[in-house]
Amino acid sequence: MISALQRYWADRGCVVMQPYHTELGAGTFNPATFLRCLGPEPWRTVYVEPVIRPRDGRYGENPYRFQHYFQLQVILKPAPEDILDQYFGSLEEIGIDTKRHDVRLVEDDWEGPTLGAWGLGWEVWVDGMEVTQFTYFQQLGGLELDVVSGEITYGLERLAMFLQGKRSAWELEWAPGFTWADVYRENERQWSAYNFEAAPVDVLTRRFAEHEEECAALIARRLTLPAYDQVLKASHAFNLLDARGAISATERASYIGRVRDLARRVAEGYLADAPV
Amino acid sequence: MPTLLFEIGCEELPARAVYEAEAQLPRLCEQHLGVLPDRVFVGPRRLAVLVGGIEEQTEDRWLKGPPLALREQAAAGFAKRHGVSAEDLEERDGFLGVTVAAESLSNVLPGRLDSILRGLGFGKTMRWDDSGLRFPRPVRWTCARLDGGSVEGYGTTTRGHRFTSGELDLPSAEAYAETLRGADVEPDAAERERIIREGLDALGQWRDPLGKLREVVHLVERPLVLEGVFDERFLQLPPRVVETAMQSHQRYFPLGGNRFGLVANGGDPDTVRAGNVNVLEGRLDDATFTFERDVQAGIEELAGRLGSIVYFAGAGSFADKTARLEGLADRLGGGDASMEAARLGKADQSAELVREFPELEGHIGAEYARLAGFPEAVCSAIAEQYLPDSAGGPLPSTDPGRVLAAADRIDALTVSFSLGHKPSGSRDPFGLRRAAIGLCRLATEGGLTIPRELLPGEVAEFVEERFEGLLGDVPVEFVRAARTASVPDLGSVARLARALHALPDEQLAPIHTAYIRAGRLGEKEKAAAKLDPELLTDEAEREVSQALTQIEPEITGAIEAGDFDVAVEAGALLGPLLDRFFEEVLVMAEDPAVRRNRLRLLLDVRDTIGLLGDLSQIPR
Repeated sequence: MISALQRYWADRGCVVMQPYHTELGAGTFNPATFLRCLGPEPWRTVYVEPVIRPRDGRYGENPYRFQHYFQLQVILKPAPEDILDQYFGSLEEIGIDTKRHDVRLVEDDWEGPTLGAWGLGWEVWVDGMEVTQFTYFQQLGGLELDVVSGEITYGLERLAMFLQGKRSAWELEWAPGFTWADVYRENERQWSAYNFEAAPVDVLTRRFAEHEEECAALIARRLTLPAYDQVLKASHAFNLLDARGAISATERASYIGRVRDLARRVAEGYLADAPV
Repeated sequence: MPTLLFEIGCEELPARAVYEAEAQLPRLCEQHLGVLPDRVFVGPRRLAVLVGGIEEQTEDRWLKGPPLALREQAAAGFAKRHGVSAEDLEERDGFLGVTVAAESLSNVLPGRLDSILRGLGFGKTMRWDDSGLRFPRPVRWTCARLDGGSVEGYGTTTRGHRFTSGELDLPSAEAYAETLRGADVEPDAAERERIIREGLDALGQWRDPLGKLREVVHLVERPLVLEGVFDERFLQLPPRVVETAMQSHQRYFPLGGNRFGLVANGGDPDTVRAGNVNVLEGRLDDATFTFERDVQAGIEELAGRLGSIVYFAGAGSFADKTARLEGLADRLGGGDASMEAARLGKADQSAELVREFPELEGHIGAEYARLAGFPEAVCSAIAEQYLPDSAGGPLPSTDPGRVLAAADRIDALTVSFSLGHKPSGSRDPFGLRRAAIGLCRLATEGGLTIPRELLPGEVAEFVEERFEGLLGDVPVEFVRAARTASVPDLGSVARLARALHALPDEQLAPIHTAYIRAGRLGEKEKAAAKLDPELLTDEAEREVSQALTQIEPEITGAIEAGDFDVAVEAGALLGPLLDRFFEEVLVMAEDPAVRRNRLRLLLDVRDTIGLLGDLSQIPR
């Protein structure tokens, strides 16, 4: 399924990229989306992103909630006029007959407060199951976008459950003889324990501040790309602190504001340094 | 006269945007085409109008400009705006102006259709390319037919169903609906709604508790109503949880038991039905998993976890809030059931199921209390604590429910005000106006005695101000007067305001006048500390003094008994006596002792009438 989708989009001019090397809360955080969608240059890419959301872990006990799962992300910049038809073609490619199934676009507007980002779009339903998030970006890093990108985010577990007719991700066949549970369940248990119980609050609090500081220093030296990694690390430290219950409602807003501020400065720096 | 069809083809619009467009299209047609449309077709992928009777020629139009006298100052600007030179302006009836020559419809139509498209306003719009156009979702085609002819700049093709059809020629304006119906699209929203209702009716007693039908009509172009049946084991979940899982995200319609209705946009019925059942069962599985974990913990354990959940920064945890609610429930005169409901009311804030379905807070706690064997009075109070949830919504049906609902609102208001989150202008992020209105209604319609002393000054003021719009035809001034009376509870403020308003004007007028005059005169000079009956020389003043000694306790007693009509009528008895007093008695007597004694008498009059509130608030 993954290789079929990658091939499909590669055939449509997308650069096939690999997952980013640090924890991300969504494929949107990958610089191949966040930074590349700024400015006027065209860009097309497809990549798988493992998504880390510490709060969503359930110790591998709940077959519907995980702190680690996969997205397949496609960016088409600028969004072509037939972007939806291309997307529906990708569903056909992996065996979803759009005439037999009820495929629908249901309003779902996206907002990423830590990235100062928003867009309008849909969740895509196949027979009532949400398999994709589709967004036309309007703003990133607090900056209005001149060129609108289309972002297609497939939820790979959901899509695989649909294709394999399985009710829970645990039962997904990862390869003959190997289920999702064989591969990832223990991972869920241990990471949930880390996220909710073991992650050291004082260290993470300190790290957040350090990432913030380093990010500012790197922006000042116009090293925008390394600075952006610090945004990602600060954001992950915040997510862990949040999972640990170490952040009150008001502090939460202030943390989000701090990450957003960094993201905005990186976005501005990226545009200022972009080759003309 | 020709008939026009104009269609704006979009990627799937949100239902809200479709309704916004539907409301504006008739007016825009009238404005730009001169006539109202015969038909408006709206749906997720298209907004269209069918307009008959458009004039084929525009008429010569006289555009009136500035008066002749202002030729120097304004002529050039006016001429420039209309693309002529200032010398070409004509004179007519003392004004400058310009004649716009008649044009054929085909010349002006492209611009007019564009004006309609750009004239539509929406709450939320986006950009998708560099055209500069903003719309709720991308516009992908436009189609226009003038009878069987075309309109320059607009296509003559439309699109059928997204998956079973494609681009197709629209032969004429009149053929629009028929053409689309042949391509698996029902363009008429009312007809789609009729098909959906008919389909659901055929399945049985369907319900729509969260009001999803309005949206579903615009989620499909070809409604296909199907029945789904889920596994009976999920019926052990609280019915509201099952209903919410069906409705809030999936937009299904409960049919009772384990059956539900769903509306698809096509597809193979068996395949689509099976897929949807699978999705719903997955969601119910997830809810069951969460529900069972909560039930295993039990409501007492859930209540015990509240200390680690922040209620409001600066106002402690939900455990702190619970302690405050218990105190308030006690002071609101709640009995055992109310106290128990206050103790357990917020327990479900630590329930995982509430994290999944936040809109079910209260109901989930009530269910867990039921499972733990608490009396129904306690459980229903927990369920009803968030009522009324809208300005006119129903109130809790039981005493403990009203006590808990009032305690919850008093606490929310007190905490928010003390932390400086007062509503200002239209900004009210914490819904404090709604909370205050709810509190007022609990006191009036709910008959709950809410002591005013439970509300700190600013909060009391904010809450009581809500009465100004809540008491039907009672003018705000009567509410303001009643608020100044020393009545003990919120409901009494409202009842006193009503009683004052109910007093016939000829009875109100004398005490109103006397109250104001007495107050004004009484403060002119230092009055005696205490009335000396020996110094009352005139008949009229002795009468007033005697009446006061009877009427004052009568008013006080009636207020205490909550009998405001009696209190007001007792006060009104003073009216004729005071009329006579002001006629016959010279207050500012020569003898200082007599004078100061009379001033004292007037102050006593003012204070006695003032038991009914500051009548000077009422303008006359």
